[in-house]
Amino acid sequence: MQIRGRSAMVLIAPAALIFAVFVIYPLIRGVQLSFTDAIGPSGGNFVGLKNYMHALSDPTVLHALFNTIVYTAVVVVVQNGLALFVAFWLFKLERVRNFVRAGLLLPAMMAFVAVGYLWSYMYSPLGGPIDSVMDALGLHWLEPIWLGDPHTALMSIAAIYIWMFLGYTATIYLANYMAIDPALIEAANLDGASGWRRFWNVDWRLLAPSFTINITLSVIGSLRVFDLPFIMTQGAPEDATQTLSLVIYNNSFANYQFAYGTTLAVLLLVLTIVVGVTQATLLRRREADLA
Amino acid sequence: MTAFISQGTASDVVGRTPTPRPSVRGSRLRTRRLRSRASTVIASVILLAFTAVVLTPIWVLVMVSLHHGTSSPSNPFALPAPIDFQNYINAFQNMHYLRSVGNTLIITLATAVITVFAASLAAWGIVRHTRRWTRTLYQIFVSGLTIPIFVVLTPLYEVMQKLHLLDSYIGIVLAYTATIMPFAVFFFAGFLRTVPPELEEAAAVDGAGLIRTYWKIVFPLLRPATATLAIFVILQVWNDLILPLVLLSSDDKQTVTLAVYATIGTHSMSPEQLLPTLVLGVLPLFIVFLALQRYVVAGIAVGAGK
Repeated sequence: MQIRGRSAMVLIAPAALIFAVFVIYPLIRGVQLSFTDAIGPSGGNFVGLKNYMHALSDPTVLHALFNTIVYTAVVVVVQNGLALFVAFWLFKLERVRNFVRAGLLLPAMMAFVAVGYLWSYMYSPLGGPIDSVMDALGLHWLEPIWLGDPHTALMSIAAIYIWMFLGYTATIYLANYMAIDPALIEAANLDGASGWRRFWNVDWRLLAPSFTINITLSVIGSLRVFDLPFIMTQGAPEDATQTLSLVIYNNSFANYQFAYGTTLAVLLLVLTIVVGVTQATLLRRREADLA
Repeated sequence: MTAFISQGTASDVVGRTPTPRPSVRGSRLRTRRLRSRASTVIASVILLAFTAVVLTPIWVLVMVSLHHGTSSPSNPFALPAPIDFQNYINAFQNMHYLRSVGNTLIITLATAVITVFAASLAAWGIVRHTRRWTRTLYQIFVSGLTIPIFVVLTPLYEVMQKLHLLDSYIGIVLAYTATIMPFAVFFFAGFLRTVPPELEEAAAVDGAGLIRTYWKIVFPLLRPATATLAIFVILQVWNDLILPLVLLSSDDKQTVTLAVYATIGTHSMSPEQLLPTLVLGVLPLFIVFLALQRYVVAGIAVGAGK
């Protein structure tokens, strides 16, 4: 059925209106604010590129930018690698499939706030469970102050994020596995290509759609990382866990530097677009090559 | 040799019992199968152990939360004796638990209802009126999928202030609806494209108007997609901290996540006092997950199908 133009307009109007007022307008308004010296949500004078010049020489912002990129790279690679491994085995092992999938998904059902406080306790140097296990294993000499040492803080937080979303990513890979025509995998098994050989030569190509989705989801999710550093470290120690979202929040809502906050938001948007477009192009080319 | 291997694997896969032969060949086949069965068992055990490790922090969370008073637990992995619920009672009161859960329920329900109707109507219009402007509009909606909330957060606060929607249910519901809209439109449009338009045409021929056709034909067709989207909304709203943190200020409108944050942020607590708050915070979603696991898994897997 084709809907006439005017009717279509009426149908689309409510969604478009809500989206326009609360996402598109703020987006445009944010870009505009970033060229002013507004403090709090009122006016401000045009100051040209001053905020941007300031941002690009602000050590906290540069740390945040660097941390966000490193964090994203680590999380995307490790999470997808582990999840592929888990999905490969779950596809084979029907008996434990549902139980393991449910168990691995459980952390993803927790709010970041709860996860943040829980892991602050897990990592605690004062009787935290991780250190007590390491003590029991005689590994006391290996223990850093997980969240207090600039060398380990960011990766300690990345590990939590992977802990949370490993099951989520694996579930998507597994769904792709189960949607593959079983005849294809059987044919590969018949040809004597089982285990890792089959994975590289057959599965890997057939998993291209879920690979694209998972990489996209984990990149988008990681670039905006906020809650865990906000709850656990507030960017400390020595800016080691500053992220772009955290710096935006602190400038806008702790210091009411709205202009500077939106400037950093524009930088985050640019970073997201650059990474997103690059990755979409690469992944699409890859899917086309594999097809 | 190659031929032999492929033969052996073939019977393994199809599950036929290899015809018993008194030759070396038969016993080799048997060793092969035994080895593959053994590797299956080992892999299962490794995966189960891995799952146990992943679940350990949640186990610790529950165990320590049952400890008494403020005494540090000597073993955070063991069930405390005696089990003590006093810290739960304190947390329940400090969080104004029932009120926070009620607030979150109201916000979730309103967001889900508005999102489902607005997005499915829009997706229907976009899919069944194929012109350049609907295609462009669709592209604009979908590009919203990649916009991090932090990009619009500051001006969003300004908009809410101008509309006098700060610290109101309507304000935060509209903010959630707007941020979930791209995914909802994308999702419903994808679903509607797989539905043949004949049913709607038949209804139109019978003289049903646009709204009637939507209500009698389109909306029921979308039911599985609606269920999945509702789960998505629940996960999004129950776990979010940033929008309540910025948009809600009065205590009596607190959501569960905000209650967790406010309770812990303002007190210095020992783990035994802190963890019951977290358990109460995550409990509603754990229940939803265990009850609707099938739908949650289907919702997560939705993108991977095609």
